[in-house]
Amino acid sequence: MTGPSTEVLKEVPLFADLADDELAQVASVFKERRFAAGETIIQQGSGAAAFFVIASGEARVLVDGEERRTLRPGDHFGEMALIDAGTRTATVIASGAVVCSGVTFWDFQPLVEENGVIGWKLLQSLIEVYRSERDAEAASP
Amino acid sequence: MSEVVALLEARDVALFGSKAVGLGQALRDGLPVPPGVALAGPIVEAVAGRDEDAIRAVDESVRPLGGPLAVRSSAVDEDGADASFAGQHLTLLNVPGADDLPSALNEIWWSANSDSAITYRQRLGLFTRPSVGVVVQVLVAPECAGVMFTQNPVTGEDERVIEASWGLGEAVVAGRVIPDHFRVARDGEVLERVAGHKSITCRSLPEGGTVEEDVAPELVERLCLDDEMLRGLGGLAERCEQIYGPARDIEWAMAGGTLYLLQCRAVTRAGA
Repeated sequence: MTGPSTEVLKEVPLFADLADDELAQVASVFKERRFAAGETIIQQGSGAAAFFVIASGEARVLVDGEERRTLRPGDHFGEMALIDAGTRTATVIASGAVVCSGVTFWDFQPLVEENGVIGWKLLQSLIEVYRSERDAEAASP
Repeated sequence: MSEVVALLEARDVALFGSKAVGLGQALRDGLPVPPGVALAGPIVEAVAGRDEDAIRAVDESVRPLGGPLAVRSSAVDEDGADASFAGQHLTLLNVPGADDLPSALNEIWWSANSDSAITYRQRLGLFTRPSVGVVVQVLVAPECAGVMFTQNPVTGEDERVIEASWGLGEAVVAGRVIPDHFRVARDGEVLERVAGHKSITCRSLPEGGTVEEDVAPELVERLCLDDEMLRGLGGLAERCEQIYGPARDIEWAMAGGTLYLLQCRAVTRAGA
């Protein structure tokens, strides 16, 4: 088993509404990936096809070269890549040795295609994220 | 069709990738390729995901090779007419043995799914699931190694161009040294020999991986190939051209007096 726990996946907004058995299915397609200290995990502006959850270690998030936050075990990044495989919006660099669980667009897509319930719940989660962002924008001066 | 075969039996490019099939063909043609095993893309992916049955199947085939091992990616569409994935997909030299192979395969699988590999594929209009076969070979510990073009890749002249340096060929391939440079006529006459500046050598570490070391001062500018070695390389070039056709790009290594063929592919001419 190299995937993240269902508890960790539940913290990802995209997967928040999935039942435990569905989360277990999602977790089963993850693969472990190790990074050395200083290694770039993802690069802003580059093509993207994988989503990661940090299993151990810490990583720095940079946007346009400016440090934004530190990611720790249980934190995740790159979930939009699972849906549209677009470009990365931030750079993430391993602060020390980092172990991640990752899943690629190509592994995730068939899982959703084969499981309509997961697909529908993901769609609802996406709409929820969209609505909350839209509401936040409307509320800002 | 088994997904783990002796390199000699690697025949299906769609399963094992062009590097594995090319080396398998070289072995079938009697060329001096180090022994090895070819792994198909799906089983590499299964091992990368720590599937126990897949790990067992690979282990059974690889363990008899002993170690250390050279673990090279052999992407299914690698070295194709329109795209080369060299530099995108990982090669791991000096993996100590079969116990370390699952981690090595995990690294290689992710190298094909890394952001840089994905960006590269998108640029080529290849946004499809990457499949990466792997070649696992006994790692030779060469006194010297390098590359050879059976036809001059710059001028197109019908002559061999050889570049050589001390230790593993990675020092030459990665441009870490100014290698010795030779031009040899088809009949074996040495047309030019220029000593390089080979200040570092790449060698295997006992615990795995490789290290760059300084070369002894007296060897930095000493030619690492003599006439007999150049004749051997000329013979290898001729044999490769007989089998695969003209204009080949060859990676070779000389270990314990034996010349090994590590890779043979079509020359990609500058500007092509």
